[in-house]
Amino acid sequence: MSSKPILQVSNLTKRFGNLVAVNNVTLQIHEGEIVGLIGPNGAGKTTFFNTITGLYTPDEGRVIFKGEDITGVPPHKICKLGMSRTFQVTKAFTEMTVEETVRVGAYNRHGEDDVMEKVDEVISFCGLEEIRHQKCGDLGLASLRRVELARAMATEPDLLLLDEAGAGLTAAELAELMEILRQLNKEQSVTLCVVEHVMQMVMGLCERIFVLDAGELIAEGTPEEISNNPRVIEAYLGERAIR
Amino acid sequence: MDTVVQSLLNGALMGCVYALITLGLSLIFGVMNVVNFAHGDFVMLSMYFAFFIGSMWGVDAVFTPAITFPLLFIVGVVAYYAIIDGTLRQKYVTQIAVTVGLMTFLRAITQLMWKAQPRALPYSLIQGSIHIAGYNIMLSRLISAVVSILAIGGVSLFLSKTWPGRAIRAASDDLDAASLVGVNYRWTYALAFGLGSALTAIAGGLLMTFQQVDPTMGVRFGLLSWCVLALAGLGSIPGLLISGIIVGAAESLSMALWDPRARSLIVYLIFILVLWVRPRGLFGRK
Repeated sequence: MSSKPILQVSNLTKRFGNLVAVNNVTLQIHEGEIVGLIGPNGAGKTTFFNTITGLYTPDEGRVIFKGEDITGVPPHKICKLGMSRTFQVTKAFTEMTVEETVRVGAYNRHGEDDVMEKVDEVISFCGLEEIRHQKCGDLGLASLRRVELARAMATEPDLLLLDEAGAGLTAAELAELMEILRQLNKEQSVTLCVVEHVMQMVMGLCERIFVLDAGELIAEGTPEEISNNPRVIEAYLGERAIR
Repeated sequence: MDTVVQSLLNGALMGCVYALITLGLSLIFGVMNVVNFAHGDFVMLSMYFAFFIGSMWGVDAVFTPAITFPLLFIVGVVAYYAIIDGTLRQKYVTQIAVTVGLMTFLRAITQLMWKAQPRALPYSLIQGSIHIAGYNIMLSRLISAVVSILAIGGVSLFLSKTWPGRAIRAASDDLDAASLVGVNYRWTYALAFGLGSALTAIAGGLLMTFQQVDPTMGVRFGLLSWCVLALAGLGSIPGLLISGIIVGAAESLSMALWDPRARSLIVYLIFILVLWVRPRGLFGRK
Protein backbone atom coordinates (compact mmCIF):
# COMPACT_ATOMS: atom_id res chain seq x y z
CA MET A 1 0.00 0.00 0.00
CA SER A 2 1.37 3.37 -0.94
CA SER A 3 1.24 5.89 1.84
CA LYS A 4 0.66 8.90 -0.36
CA PRO A 5 -2.17 10.96 1.12
CA ILE A 6 -5.21 11.39 -1.14
CA LEU A 7 -7.15 13.55 1.29
CA GLN A 8 -5.70 15.83 3.94
CA VAL A 9 -8.11 17.58 6.26
CA SER A 10 -6.62 20.10 8.63
CA ASN A 11 -8.33 21.91 11.50
CA LEU A 12 -11.73 21.62 9.87
CA THR A 13 -14.49 23.42 11.75
CA LYS A 14 -18.14 23.85 10.82
CA ARG A 15 -20.57 25.74 13.02
CA PHE A 16 -24.33 26.14 12.83
CA GLY A 17 -25.09 29.12 15.04
CA ASN A 18 -23.80 28.12 18.47
CA LEU A 19 -23.51 24.45 17.63
CA VAL A 20 -20.06 23.33 16.61
CA ALA A 21 -20.92 20.36 14.41
CA VAL A 22 -17.34 19.64 13.35
CA ASN A 23 -14.66 20.87 15.71
CA ASN A 24 -11.05 21.26 14.63
CA VAL A 25 -10.78 17.90 12.89
CA THR A 26 -7.45 16.93 11.34
CA LEU A 27 -7.03 13.65 9.51
CA GLN A 28 -5.42 12.03 6.50
CA ILE A 29 -6.62 9.34 4.16
CA HIS A 30 -4.04 7.51 2.05
CA GLU A 31 -4.38 6.25 -1.49
CA GLY A 32 -5.89 2.80 -1.74
CA GLU A 33 -7.11 2.61 1.86
CA ILE A 34 -10.49 1.69 3.21
CA VAL A 35 -11.08 3.85 6.25
CA GLY A 36 -14.08 4.07 8.52
CA LEU A 37 -15.57 7.07 10.26
CA ILE A 38 -17.69 6.18 13.23
CA GLY A 39 -19.29 7.95 16.13
CA PRO A 40 -22.53 8.15 18.08
CA ASN A 41 -25.60 9.85 16.61
CA GLY A 42 -25.07 13.55 16.13
CA ALA A 43 -21.30 13.25 16.29
CA GLY A 44 -20.97 15.28 13.09
CA LYS A 45 -20.15 12.52 10.62
CA THR A 46 -22.57 13.60 7.92
CA THR A 47 -21.67 17.26 8.42
CA PHE A 48 -18.03 16.27 8.02
CA PHE A 49 -18.89 14.61 4.68
CA ASN A 50 -20.95 17.57 3.56
CA THR A 51 -18.12 19.94 4.35
CA ILE A 52 -15.51 17.89 2.50
CA THR A 53 -17.64 17.41 -0.60
CA GLY A 54 -18.47 21.09 -0.95
CA LEU A 55 -22.12 21.08 0.09
CA TYR A 56 -21.13 23.20 3.10
CA THR A 57 -18.34 25.73 3.25
CA PRO A 58 -16.19 25.17 6.35
CA ASP A 59 -15.80 28.02 8.84
CA GLU A 60 -12.18 27.14 9.48
CA GLY A 61 -9.61 24.70 8.23
CA ARG A 62 -8.56 23.37 4.88
CA VAL A 63 -9.31 20.36 2.72
CA ILE A 64 -6.58 19.18 0.37
CA PHE A 65 -7.54 16.56 -2.20
CA LYS A 66 -4.79 15.02 -4.33
CA GLY A 67 -2.56 17.94 -3.47
CA GLU A 68 -5.14 20.52 -4.50
CA ASP A 69 -6.88 22.87 -2.07
CA ILE A 70 -10.61 22.22 -2.48
CA THR A 71 -11.83 24.27 0.48
CA GLY A 72 -15.01 26.04 -0.64
CA VAL A 73 -14.92 24.57 -4.15
CA PRO A 74 -18.43 23.68 -5.48
CA PRO A 75 -19.45 19.98 -5.44
CA HIS A 76 -19.47 19.40 -9.21
CA LYS A 77 -15.85 20.55 -9.49
CA ILE A 78 -14.84 18.32 -6.60
CA CYS A 79 -16.58 15.48 -8.39
CA LYS A 80 -14.59 16.24 -11.55
CA LEU A 81 -11.40 16.12 -9.50
CA GLY A 82 -12.33 12.60 -8.44
CA MET A 83 -14.35 12.56 -5.25
CA SER A 84 -17.93 11.35 -5.03
CA ARG A 85 -20.27 10.10 -2.35
CA THR A 86 -23.53 8.42 -1.45
CA PHE A 87 -26.12 9.68 1.01
CA GLN A 88 -27.45 8.44 4.31
CA VAL A 89 -30.99 9.31 3.27
CA THR A 90 -31.00 8.04 -0.29
CA LYS A 91 -31.16 10.74 -2.90
CA ALA A 92 -31.83 8.82 -6.08
CA PHE A 93 -33.45 10.62 -9.00
CA THR A 94 -37.00 9.39 -8.38
CA GLU A 95 -38.32 10.20 -11.85
CA MET A 96 -35.50 8.48 -13.69
CA THR A 97 -34.81 4.86 -14.43
CA VAL A 98 -31.83 3.13 -12.84
CA GLU A 99 -30.01 3.25 -16.14
CA GLU A 100 -30.56 6.99 -16.60
CA THR A 101 -29.52 7.72 -13.02
CA VAL A 102 -26.23 5.92 -13.53
CA ARG A 103 -25.88 7.67 -16.88
CA VAL A 104 -26.06 11.11 -15.24
CA GLY A 105 -23.07 10.08 -13.14
CA ALA A 106 -21.22 8.61 -16.11
CA TYR A 107 -21.43 11.92 -18.00
CA ASN A 108 -18.88 13.20 -15.49
CA ARG A 109 -16.07 11.66 -17.53
CA HIS A 110 -17.76 10.45 -20.71
CA GLY A 111 -19.37 12.04 -23.73
CA GLU A 112 -22.49 10.81 -25.50
CA ASP A 113 -20.46 8.43 -27.71
CA ASP A 114 -19.01 6.22 -24.99
CA VAL A 115 -21.22 6.91 -22.00
CA MET A 116 -23.26 3.73 -22.37
CA GLU A 117 -20.18 1.52 -22.12
CA LYS A 118 -19.51 2.96 -18.69
CA VAL A 119 -23.17 2.63 -17.71
CA ASP A 120 -23.23 -1.04 -18.73
CA GLU A 121 -20.00 -1.73 -16.89
CA VAL A 122 -21.17 -0.14 -13.63
CA ILE A 123 -24.63 -1.68 -13.83
CA SER A 124 -23.19 -5.15 -14.19
CA PHE A 125 -20.55 -4.51 -11.51
CA CYS A 126 -23.27 -3.55 -9.02
CA GLY A 127 -25.63 -6.31 -10.13
CA LEU A 128 -28.38 -3.96 -11.28
CA GLU A 129 -29.20 -5.63 -14.63
CA GLU A 130 -32.58 -6.88 -13.53
CA ILE A 131 -33.84 -3.49 -12.42
CA ARG A 132 -32.05 -1.26 -14.91
CA HIS A 133 -35.27 -0.11 -16.58
CA GLN A 134 -37.24 0.46 -13.38
CA LYS A 135 -37.90 3.92 -12.00
CA CYS A 136 -35.84 4.74 -8.92
CA GLY A 137 -38.98 6.01 -7.20
CA ASP A 138 -40.36 2.46 -7.24
CA LEU A 139 -37.33 0.75 -5.68
CA GLY A 140 -36.81 -0.57 -2.18
CA LEU A 141 -34.08 0.64 0.16
CA ALA A 142 -31.51 -2.05 -0.60
CA SER A 143 -31.77 -1.44 -4.35
CA LEU A 144 -31.72 2.33 -3.90
CA ARG A 145 -28.47 2.16 -1.94
CA ARG A 146 -26.96 0.11 -4.70
CA VAL A 147 -28.18 2.56 -7.36
CA GLU A 148 -26.60 5.40 -5.42
CA LEU A 149 -23.36 3.49 -5.20
CA ALA A 150 -23.53 2.81 -8.95
CA ARG A 151 -24.21 6.46 -9.73
CA ALA A 152 -21.25 7.55 -7.62
CA MET A 153 -19.03 4.86 -9.15
CA ALA A 154 -20.01 5.95 -12.64
CA THR A 155 -18.33 9.31 -12.04
CA GLU A 156 -15.07 7.31 -11.73
CA PRO A 157 -13.91 8.68 -8.41
CA ASP A 158 -10.52 8.09 -6.84
CA LEU A 159 -12.05 8.64 -3.43
CA LEU A 160 -15.56 7.47 -2.67
CA LEU A 161 -17.35 8.51 0.51
CA LEU A 162 -20.16 6.25 1.66
CA ASP A 163 -22.62 7.66 4.16
CA GLU A 164 -24.26 4.81 6.07
CA ALA A 165 -24.43 2.59 3.02
CA GLY A 166 -25.20 -0.43 5.20
CA ALA A 167 -28.01 1.05 7.27
CA GLY A 168 -31.28 -0.83 7.02
CA LEU A 169 -29.84 -3.73 5.04
CA THR A 170 -30.28 -7.40 5.92
CA ALA A 171 -27.21 -9.49 6.76
CA ALA A 172 -27.19 -11.02 3.27
CA GLU A 173 -27.53 -7.65 1.56
CA LEU A 174 -24.78 -6.29 3.76
CA ALA A 175 -22.43 -9.12 2.84
CA GLU A 176 -23.06 -8.48 -0.87
CA LEU A 177 -22.45 -4.77 -0.45
CA MET A 178 -19.18 -5.40 1.39
CA GLU A 179 -18.08 -7.72 -1.39
CA ILE A 180 -18.80 -5.04 -4.01
CA LEU A 181 -16.86 -2.48 -1.99
CA ARG A 182 -13.87 -4.78 -1.54
CA GLN A 183 -13.78 -5.47 -5.26
CA LEU A 184 -14.05 -1.78 -6.02
CA ASN A 185 -11.13 -1.08 -3.74
CA LYS A 186 -8.94 -3.90 -5.02
CA GLU A 187 -9.71 -4.03 -8.74
CA GLN A 188 -10.28 -0.37 -9.47
CA SER A 189 -8.08 0.96 -6.65
CA VAL A 190 -10.71 3.34 -5.37
CA THR A 191 -10.00 4.74 -1.93
CA LEU A 192 -13.03 4.33 0.31
CA CYS A 193 -14.19 6.21 3.36
CA VAL A 194 -17.26 4.76 5.02
CA VAL A 195 -19.38 6.43 7.65
CA GLU A 196 -21.13 3.62 9.37
CA HIS A 197 -23.28 2.61 12.28
CA VAL A 198 -23.19 -1.05 11.39
CA MET A 199 -20.11 -2.19 13.31
CA GLN A 200 -19.97 -5.50 11.49
CA MET A 201 -19.33 -3.59 8.28
CA VAL A 202 -16.77 -1.16 9.69
CA MET A 203 -14.80 -3.81 11.53
CA GLY A 204 -14.91 -6.22 8.62
CA LEU A 205 -14.00 -3.76 5.93
CA CYS A 206 -11.80 -0.99 7.26
CA GLU A 207 -8.06 -0.93 7.78
CA ARG A 208 -8.16 2.24 9.83
CA ILE A 209 -10.95 3.88 11.77
CA PHE A 210 -11.55 7.45 12.89
CA VAL A 211 -13.91 8.15 15.76
CA LEU A 212 -15.86 11.38 16.01
CA ASP A 213 -17.72 12.43 19.12
CA ALA A 214 -19.53 15.75 19.53
CA GLY A 215 -17.72 17.09 16.47
CA GLU A 216 -14.23 16.17 17.69
CA LEU A 217 -11.90 13.48 16.50
CA ILE A 218 -11.32 11.41 19.66
CA ALA A 219 -9.51 8.37 18.33
CA GLU A 220 -7.82 6.89 15.30
CA GLY A 221 -6.42 3.43 14.72
CA THR A 222 -6.92 -0.14 13.56
CA PRO A 223 -10.24 -1.86 14.34
CA GLU A 224 -8.66 -3.68 17.35
CA GLU A 225 -7.14 -0.52 18.74
CA ILE A 226 -10.44 1.29 18.38
CA SER A 227 -12.53 -1.41 20.01
CA ASN A 228 -10.20 -1.36 23.04
CA ASN A 229 -9.91 2.41 23.28
CA PRO A 230 -11.48 3.61 26.56
CA ARG A 231 -12.49 7.01 25.13
CA VAL A 232 -14.37 5.31 22.33
CA ILE A 233 -16.16 2.96 24.69
CA GLU A 234 -17.03 5.94 26.84
CA ALA A 235 -18.41 7.90 23.90
CA TYR A 236 -20.54 4.97 22.80
CA LEU A 237 -21.65 3.45 26.06
CA GLY A 238 -21.24 6.16 28.65
CA GLU A 239 -18.69 6.58 31.43
CA ARG A 240 -19.78 3.71 33.65
CA ALA A 241 -19.03 1.08 31.06
CA ILE A 242 -15.29 1.55 31.51
CA ARG A 243 -15.12 0.52 35.13
CA MET B 1 -74.49 23.79 -30.19
CA ASP B 2 -72.48 25.00 -33.15
CA THR B 3 -71.15 27.93 -31.18
CA VAL B 4 -70.10 25.61 -28.39
CA VAL B 5 -68.11 23.32 -30.65
CA GLN B 6 -66.72 26.23 -32.61
CA SER B 7 -65.48 28.03 -29.52
CA LEU B 8 -64.18 24.78 -28.02
CA LEU B 9 -62.13 24.29 -31.16
CA ASN B 10 -60.78 27.83 -31.12
CA GLY B 11 -60.01 27.61 -27.44
CA ALA B 12 -58.30 24.25 -27.71
CA LEU B 13 -56.02 25.53 -30.46
CA MET B 14 -55.15 28.58 -28.39
CA GLY B 15 -54.61 26.27 -25.43
CA CYS B 16 -51.73 24.58 -27.23
CA VAL B 17 -49.93 27.92 -27.33
CA TYR B 18 -50.69 28.40 -23.63
CA ALA B 19 -49.17 24.99 -22.98
CA LEU B 20 -45.99 26.01 -24.82
CA ILE B 21 -45.72 29.19 -22.73
CA THR B 22 -46.34 27.18 -19.57
CA LEU B 23 -43.67 24.65 -20.48
CA GLY B 24 -41.12 27.46 -20.20
CA LEU B 25 -42.50 28.48 -16.83
CA SER B 26 -42.55 24.91 -15.60
CA LEU B 27 -38.91 24.35 -16.62
CA ILE B 28 -37.88 27.34 -14.55
CA PHE B 29 -40.09 26.55 -11.58
CA GLY B 30 -39.52 22.81 -11.67
CA VAL B 31 -35.75 23.01 -11.85
CA MET B 32 -34.82 25.89 -9.61
CA ASN B 33 -37.98 26.47 -7.62
CA VAL B 34 -38.07 30.09 -8.68
CA VAL B 35 -41.52 31.62 -8.97
CA ASN B 36 -40.95 33.70 -12.08
CA PHE B 37 -43.54 36.47 -12.21
CA ALA B 38 -41.86 37.94 -15.24
CA HIS B 39 -42.56 34.93 -17.44
CA GLY B 40 -45.63 36.49 -19.07
CA ASP B 41 -43.62 39.60 -19.78
CA PHE B 42 -41.08 37.52 -21.65
CA VAL B 43 -44.00 36.50 -23.87
CA MET B 44 -44.90 40.17 -24.27
CA LEU B 45 -41.27 41.03 -25.01
CA SER B 46 -41.10 38.26 -27.61
CA MET B 47 -44.22 39.62 -29.27
CA TYR B 48 -42.67 43.09 -29.45
CA PHE B 49 -39.45 41.66 -30.85
CA ALA B 50 -41.52 39.83 -33.45
CA PHE B 51 -43.35 43.06 -34.20
CA PHE B 52 -40.08 44.99 -34.44
CA ILE B 53 -38.39 42.48 -36.72
CA GLY B 54 -41.57 42.06 -38.74
CA SER B 55 -42.10 45.76 -39.30
CA MET B 56 -38.43 46.65 -39.81
CA TRP B 57 -37.43 43.96 -42.24
CA GLY B 58 -40.77 42.71 -43.40
CA VAL B 59 -40.17 39.25 -41.96
CA ASP B 60 -43.32 37.27 -41.47
CA ALA B 61 -44.24 36.78 -37.80
CA VAL B 62 -44.09 32.97 -38.05
CA PHE B 63 -40.43 33.14 -39.03
CA THR B 64 -39.33 35.62 -36.36
CA PRO B 65 -38.53 32.90 -33.79
CA ALA B 66 -35.50 32.08 -35.94
CA ILE B 67 -34.08 35.34 -34.58
CA THR B 68 -36.04 35.80 -31.34
CA PHE B 69 -35.47 32.28 -30.02
CA PRO B 70 -31.69 32.70 -29.63
CA LEU B 71 -32.25 36.30 -28.57
CA LEU B 72 -34.64 35.38 -25.77
CA PHE B 73 -32.32 32.54 -24.76
CA ILE B 74 -29.58 35.09 -24.24
CA VAL B 75 -31.96 37.46 -22.44
CA GLY B 76 -32.94 34.59 -20.14
CA VAL B 77 -29.35 33.54 -19.41
CA VAL B 78 -28.32 37.14 -18.74
CA ALA B 79 -31.36 37.68 -16.51
CA TYR B 80 -30.44 34.51 -14.62
CA TYR B 81 -26.84 35.47 -13.93
CA ALA B 82 -27.64 39.14 -13.33
CA ILE B 83 -30.52 38.87 -10.90
CA ILE B 84 -31.80 35.35 -10.20
CA ASP B 85 -28.53 33.63 -9.29
CA GLY B 86 -27.94 35.86 -6.29
CA THR B 87 -31.40 35.24 -4.84
CA LEU B 88 -31.37 31.44 -4.89
CA ARG B 89 -30.33 31.13 -1.28
CA GLN B 90 -32.49 34.03 -0.14
CA LYS B 91 -36.04 33.96 1.15
CA TYR B 92 -38.95 33.40 -1.21
CA VAL B 93 -39.99 37.03 -0.72
CA THR B 94 -36.70 38.19 -2.19
CA GLN B 95 -37.17 36.05 -5.27
CA ILE B 96 -40.72 37.29 -5.73
CA ALA B 97 -39.58 40.90 -5.34
CA VAL B 98 -36.83 40.35 -7.90
CA THR B 99 -39.02 38.70 -10.55
CA VAL B 100 -41.82 41.23 -10.01
CA GLY B 101 -39.16 43.90 -10.42
CA LEU B 102 -38.01 42.29 -13.67
CA MET B 103 -41.64 42.22 -14.82
CA THR B 104 -42.07 45.94 -14.15
CA PHE B 105 -38.74 46.67 -15.78
CA LEU B 106 -39.64 44.79 -18.97
CA ARG B 107 -42.98 46.55 -19.16
CA ALA B 108 -41.42 49.98 -18.67
CA ILE B 109 -38.82 49.29 -21.35
CA THR B 110 -41.41 48.19 -23.90
CA GLN B 111 -43.59 51.18 -23.09
CA LEU B 112 -40.64 53.49 -23.66
CA MET B 113 -39.70 51.89 -26.93
CA TRP B 114 -43.06 51.20 -28.51
CA LYS B 115 -45.43 53.49 -26.57
CA ALA B 116 -48.55 52.20 -24.89
CA GLN B 117 -50.83 51.67 -27.85
CA PRO B 118 -51.40 48.16 -29.19
CA ARG B 119 -49.18 47.11 -32.07
CA ALA B 120 -49.88 44.52 -34.72
CA LEU B 121 -48.21 43.27 -37.87
CA PRO B 122 -50.18 44.01 -41.03
CA TYR B 123 -50.63 40.43 -42.21
CA SER B 124 -49.10 37.05 -42.08
CA LEU B 125 -48.42 34.48 -44.74
CA ILE B 126 -50.69 32.17 -42.87
CA GLN B 127 -54.13 33.69 -43.06
CA GLY B 128 -57.64 32.74 -43.99
CA SER B 129 -59.37 29.71 -42.65
CA ILE B 130 -60.37 26.21 -43.53
CA HIS B 131 -63.77 24.63 -43.15
CA ILE B 132 -64.17 21.22 -41.66
CA ALA B 133 -67.64 19.73 -41.15
CA GLY B 134 -69.22 23.14 -41.10
CA TYR B 135 -66.78 24.60 -38.62
CA ASN B 136 -64.49 27.45 -39.36
CA ILE B 137 -60.86 27.10 -38.32
CA MET B 138 -58.48 30.01 -38.59
CA LEU B 139 -55.36 28.79 -40.30
CA SER B 140 -53.08 30.95 -38.16
CA ARG B 141 -54.44 29.37 -34.99
CA LEU B 142 -54.25 25.89 -36.41
CA ILE B 143 -50.63 26.34 -37.43
CA SER B 144 -49.83 27.95 -34.08
CA ALA B 145 -51.24 24.93 -32.30
CA VAL B 146 -49.34 22.50 -34.50
CA VAL B 147 -46.05 24.38 -34.11
CA SER B 148 -46.61 24.59 -30.34
CA ILE B 149 -47.17 20.86 -30.09
CA LEU B 150 -44.06 20.21 -32.18
CA ALA B 151 -42.02 22.55 -29.98
CA ILE B 152 -43.32 20.85 -26.84
CA GLY B 153 -42.39 17.50 -28.34
CA GLY B 154 -38.95 18.84 -29.17
CA VAL B 155 -38.33 20.03 -25.62
CA SER B 156 -39.60 16.72 -24.32
CA LEU B 157 -37.06 14.88 -26.46
CA PHE B 158 -34.32 17.29 -25.41
CA LEU B 159 -35.08 16.61 -21.74
CA SER B 160 -35.25 12.86 -22.08
CA LYS B 161 -32.55 12.11 -24.62
CA THR B 162 -29.68 14.57 -24.28
CA TRP B 163 -26.99 15.12 -21.73
CA PRO B 164 -28.01 18.69 -20.82
CA GLY B 165 -31.65 17.58 -20.66
CA ARG B 166 -30.77 14.80 -18.24
CA ALA B 167 -28.72 17.24 -16.18
CA ILE B 168 -31.74 19.54 -15.94
CA ARG B 169 -33.97 16.68 -14.83
CA ALA B 170 -31.43 15.38 -12.34
CA ALA B 171 -30.95 18.83 -10.82
CA SER B 172 -34.69 19.32 -10.54
CA ASP B 173 -35.04 15.94 -8.83
CA ASP B 174 -32.26 16.32 -6.28
CA LEU B 175 -29.87 19.22 -6.53
CA ASP B 176 -27.31 18.00 -3.96
CA ALA B 177 -27.10 14.54 -5.43
CA ALA B 178 -26.82 15.95 -8.94
CA SER B 179 -23.97 18.30 -8.06
CA LEU B 180 -22.10 15.54 -6.28
CA VAL B 181 -22.09 13.42 -9.41
CA GLY B 182 -20.72 16.27 -11.45
CA VAL B 183 -23.71 18.37 -12.54
CA ASN B 184 -22.87 22.08 -12.47
CA TYR B 185 -25.98 23.62 -10.95
CA ARG B 186 -25.45 27.24 -12.02
CA TRP B 187 -24.89 26.16 -15.57
CA THR B 188 -27.96 23.95 -15.47
CA TYR B 189 -30.07 26.70 -13.97
CA ALA B 190 -28.90 29.24 -16.53
CA LEU B 191 -29.71 26.75 -19.28
CA ALA B 192 -33.20 26.10 -17.88
CA PHE B 193 -33.88 29.81 -17.49
CA GLY B 194 -32.60 30.54 -20.98
CA LEU B 195 -34.58 27.72 -22.55
CA GLY B 196 -37.70 28.60 -20.57
CA SER B 197 -37.46 32.17 -21.81
CA ALA B 198 -36.61 31.16 -25.36
CA LEU B 199 -39.79 29.09 -25.59
CA THR B 200 -41.79 32.30 -25.20
CA ALA B 201 -40.14 33.48 -28.43
CA ILE B 202 -41.86 30.72 -30.38
CA ALA B 203 -45.17 31.51 -28.68
CA GLY B 204 -44.66 35.24 -29.26
CA GLY B 205 -44.03 34.80 -32.98
CA LEU B 206 -47.09 32.58 -33.34
CA LEU B 207 -49.33 34.93 -31.38
CA MET B 208 -48.31 37.86 -33.56
CA THR B 209 -49.79 36.12 -36.60
CA PHE B 210 -53.30 36.77 -35.29
CA GLN B 211 -53.02 39.08 -32.31
CA GLN B 212 -51.84 42.53 -31.37
CA VAL B 213 -49.50 43.30 -28.51
CA ASP B 214 -49.53 45.95 -25.80
CA PRO B 215 -47.32 46.38 -22.73
CA THR B 216 -49.93 45.11 -20.26
CA MET B 217 -50.26 41.73 -21.94
CA GLY B 218 -47.54 40.19 -19.84
CA VAL B 219 -49.72 39.90 -16.75
CA ARG B 220 -52.42 38.09 -18.68
CA PHE B 221 -50.04 35.49 -20.10
CA GLY B 222 -48.13 35.25 -16.85
CA LEU B 223 -51.14 34.48 -14.72
CA LEU B 224 -52.64 32.29 -17.40
CA SER B 225 -49.53 30.16 -17.48
CA TRP B 226 -49.60 29.82 -13.69
CA CYS B 227 -53.19 28.56 -14.02
CA VAL B 228 -52.18 25.98 -16.61
CA LEU B 229 -49.23 24.89 -14.47
CA ALA B 230 -51.38 24.57 -11.35
CA LEU B 231 -53.93 22.52 -13.27
CA ALA B 232 -51.30 20.23 -14.79
CA GLY B 233 -48.97 19.89 -11.83
CA LEU B 234 -45.21 19.47 -12.13
CA GLY B 235 -43.49 16.75 -14.07
CA SER B 236 -45.82 15.73 -16.89
CA ILE B 237 -45.39 17.29 -20.32
CA PRO B 238 -48.47 15.64 -21.91
CA GLY B 239 -50.39 16.78 -18.84
CA LEU B 240 -49.26 20.30 -19.56
CA LEU B 241 -50.67 20.11 -23.06
CA ILE B 242 -54.02 18.76 -21.87
CA SER B 243 -54.26 21.42 -19.17
CA GLY B 244 -53.42 24.14 -21.67
CA ILE B 245 -56.22 22.90 -23.89
CA ILE B 246 -58.66 22.76 -20.96
CA VAL B 247 -57.84 26.32 -19.93
CA GLY B 248 -58.00 27.59 -23.53
CA ALA B 249 -61.31 25.89 -24.13
CA ALA B 250 -62.79 27.12 -20.84
CA GLU B 251 -61.71 30.64 -21.63
CA SER B 252 -63.16 30.54 -25.10
CA LEU B 253 -66.42 28.91 -23.97
CA SER B 254 -67.06 31.49 -21.31
CA MET B 255 -66.48 34.24 -23.87
CA ALA B 256 -68.89 32.70 -26.35
CA LEU B 257 -71.65 31.66 -24.00
CA TRP B 258 -71.51 34.27 -21.32
CA ASP B 259 -69.56 37.46 -21.73
CA PRO B 260 -66.16 38.23 -23.32
CA ARG B 261 -65.21 39.97 -20.11
CA ALA B 262 -65.83 36.77 -18.13
CA ARG B 263 -62.92 34.85 -19.57
CA SER B 264 -60.45 35.58 -16.81
CA LEU B 265 -63.11 34.93 -14.22
CA ILE B 266 -63.64 31.35 -15.37
CA VAL B 267 -59.93 30.70 -15.72
CA TYR B 268 -59.18 31.87 -12.19
CA LEU B 269 -62.13 29.96 -10.86
CA ILE B 270 -60.47 26.83 -12.24
CA PHE B 271 -57.19 27.98 -10.68
CA ILE B 272 -58.72 28.39 -7.23
CA LEU B 273 -60.67 25.13 -7.49
CA VAL B 274 -57.53 23.18 -8.38
CA LEU B 275 -55.52 24.68 -5.54
CA TRP B 276 -58.36 23.86 -3.20
CA VAL B 277 -59.37 20.37 -4.32
CA ARG B 278 -56.19 18.96 -5.86
CA PRO B 279 -53.12 21.04 -5.06
CA ARG B 280 -50.71 18.75 -6.89
CA GLY B 281 -52.65 19.26 -10.12
CA LEU B 282 -54.26 16.73 -12.42
CA PHE B 283 -51.06 15.08 -13.59
CA GLY B 284 -48.49 16.16 -10.99
CA ARG B 285 -46.06 13.81 -9.30
CA LYS B 286 -46.64 12.91 -5.65
